[in-house]
Amino acid sequence: MFDAFVGGLVVVFQWKSFLYLLIGAGIGFWVGILPGLGGATTLALMMPFIYKMTPQEALPFLLGMHSVVQTTGDITSILFGIPGEATTVATIVDGYPMAKKGEAGRAIGAALMSSLIGAVFGAAFLALSIPIVRPLVLAFGSPEMLMVILLGLTCISSLSGRGRRGLLLGLLSGGIGLLCSLVGQDRQAGILRFTFDELYLWNGLPVIPVLVGLFAIPEIVDLAVRGTAIAGDVPSGKLGKGVMQGVRDTFTHFWLTVRCSLIGSLIGILPGLGGGVAQWMSYAHATQSAKTIKEQEGFGQGDIRGVLGPGAANNSKEGAGLIPTVAFGIPASSGMAILLGAFFLLGLVPGPEMLTKHLTLTFSMVWTIVVANILIVLVSLVFINHIAALTTIRGKLLIPFLLLLTFIGAYTSSNHIGDLIAVLVFGCVGYFMVRFSWPRPPFILGFILGELAETYLYVSTSRYGWDWLYRPKVIIIFLLAVAVAAYPFIQRKKLQKGESSHEI
Amino acid sequence: MKKNFVVLLVIVCLATVLFSFDRAQAAPYYEGKKIKIVVGFAPGGGYDRMARLLGKHLPKYIPGKPSFIIENMPGASSMITANYVYNIAKPDGLTIGTFNRGLPFAQLTDKKGAKFDMRKFAWIGSSAVEATVLVIRTDLPYKTFDEMLKDKSVKMLGSTGPGDSNGHLLSMLQAFVGLDLKNISYPSSADVMLAVERKELDGRGSSYSSALPFIERGVVRAVLRGRIVEEGIENLPVDEDLVTDPKAKTLLGMRSAPDGFGRPYVAPPGTPENVMNILREAFAKVEKDPELQKDAEKNKMKITYVSADECLKVINFILNQPEDIVNEFKKFVQF
Repeated sequence: MFDAFVGGLVVVFQWKSFLYLLIGAGIGFWVGILPGLGGATTLALMMPFIYKMTPQEALPFLLGMHSVVQTTGDITSILFGIPGEATTVATIVDGYPMAKKGEAGRAIGAALMSSLIGAVFGAAFLALSIPIVRPLVLAFGSPEMLMVILLGLTCISSLSGRGRRGLLLGLLSGGIGLLCSLVGQDRQAGILRFTFDELYLWNGLPVIPVLVGLFAIPEIVDLAVRGTAIAGDVPSGKLGKGVMQGVRDTFTHFWLTVRCSLIGSLIGILPGLGGGVAQWMSYAHATQSAKTIKEQEGFGQGDIRGVLGPGAANNSKEGAGLIPTVAFGIPASSGMAILLGAFFLLGLVPGPEMLTKHLTLTFSMVWTIVVANILIVLVSLVFINHIAALTTIRGKLLIPFLLLLTFIGAYTSSNHIGDLIAVLVFGCVGYFMVRFSWPRPPFILGFILGELAETYLYVSTSRYGWDWLYRPKVIIIFLLAVAVAAYPFIQRKKLQKGESSHEI
Repeated sequence: MKKNFVVLLVIVCLATVLFSFDRAQAAPYYEGKKIKIVVGFAPGGGYDRMARLLGKHLPKYIPGKPSFIIENMPGASSMITANYVYNIAKPDGLTIGTFNRGLPFAQLTDKKGAKFDMRKFAWIGSSAVEATVLVIRTDLPYKTFDEMLKDKSVKMLGSTGPGDSNGHLLSMLQAFVGLDLKNISYPSSADVMLAVERKELDGRGSSYSSALPFIERGVVRAVLRGRIVEEGIENLPVDEDLVTDPKAKTLLGMRSAPDGFGRPYVAPPGTPENVMNILREAFAKVEKDPELQKDAEKNKMKITYVSADECLKVINFILNQPEDIVNEFKKFVQF
């Protein structure tokens, strides 16, 4: 095993492999920056190039690209409030307010560093889980999946505003998200729900246009109304200075970053959940680290921990996401499904052989994730001052480009006019949500998890009757979910108590 | 002298006309053009990978060597693509489409939103057949379909929802053959396979090609097939042979029929016949291309050209059924 571990590193640093890794990571850099255009689509575009490559060349090429999009996607999210990737939306919540305050450099520094830690953690998770990969993946049956989804939904309590009104708005927002997830053909009986005779809506509302609309459009409108640059009143020259501060922040909150990485990896193994959910669960976890009420209320206004959590989680899920693909030939996400196609092309059969005969190659994938992320983070750190300066460009000049990128990005989702309409509709929804201070994250969680929750509830009940309720793992995860739901209230009580005793 | 000049002029003119006419004929229709393949599924699946593979090798067999671009237009079980190719794309041979082979059922069951007539597409043909098999876990006490029938337990079998033709096979087996089973829908094919791995499911209906990696790894074995056959499953029992009722036989046959054109390719209705012939010929020839075969093998795919006439024959078989059969069929197949 150790031989393979070192052998994998040697493979990555062979000059040809390394060259392809560089090219892949370079492509991934831009894919991440451009909003909407996702890693999965780009993988499909890159496939024709690998026919003549050996696995040692092709895997660094593909994986080098796919494993860095989250890292640079965070940059777009922080700078413009526009999700660079579907998996980097949570970074916006605290990252963009920081950019507005002129702290773009610090936020990006923290996002990059936490991404790096997340990526290394995820890769280590993949490497360490190789001996126990079968029981690890098979431990989660459909009832356990349902409970993990429930756990995800309970994070809404942490993502809502404070106080009774805040909680109510959060729950309503999550409920509307759930309703929106019901649009489309239902999976059991084939009944069309809320499709209004539009074929476009058969498969439900596509995620990317909804996310982009909900988050990008309100920010662009806001920018236009303010009539200034994103970092409006901040004197130029101050922006990039916080970079080292951001990097230091990551180490100040090192254990938070590690815990969020762990959340990302655990969610990453489960098919269908992936980065879309991991980022929000880790964000919710980050908000729980508040030590005073003031700190708690600072989340959403530009707290650095709100950047670190999702920054780490969306990268750490990458290594973990490879586990079911490599070990069983069963992809956990659309990007992995395309990678699986690449495996066949290269003459590799995913399955137990990848953990025995081709172990060196599997470890080279671990190293690819690590090396590609180190490279991209270093390159980004070098250019960060120039990148952060984008926030000082006058809004008037920036808006046309942002709008163009937003719409093109959304259109790549299904190449259909419906994508553009969805952006506009959810742009309006998002605008009013911001206007009347409804929290948007609960909506997203409800939207992403709603359909999965329905399907797995159905699968669990029709497969096991009511017996699934008594499975020990189900009960444990359920209790965990209850704890997660209740924690914000306990935390608040504790903080209030602490503060009043402090005053005395 | 003057007369000579006129004659010369006439000759030159004629020559110019003839020459240009000759050139016009010699310049192939597709020279310098792009052919767009619209795929009814997202990138990464079998339909998409086939289109990308064909796009790479087809130019060799089309005079003028046009380049190919692939555009994914997923949604509504690829009805969006079918509607687009049928109603919007120009019939100039520069846009062709590939979609869900089960689409004839959308038309048969009068699905709202299906704005096409499968018989009126300009058919190029199909680049593969996709046999359906029933696979079960290798660690189960029963090893054949016969033993499976005799086993008393309820079989837990997976599918991916109402549009999944493999799921239709399961409900028909339950109704006509008396197999005691529960048909459970999962979000995707990958989730079904994972459920099989962790023994939540006993098996599933599947296309043979996508089950093959798992059969080779010894996770599952095939025990039954539909009427369409592929290399390696010739000896399996066929679903239609297990029933005696002619109506049941027809329904099972209808379900299997589209497997005969596993990766269908069409052009918009009204595409000129000479252009269609170029495309059909190219698809027929590319099947035998050694480089394509090598690439296909790497992709774990098999290229088999099914002619346009064959495809239409299958479609007519499905769409020309009497009303009582269609009504019965609708009970099992909801597109």
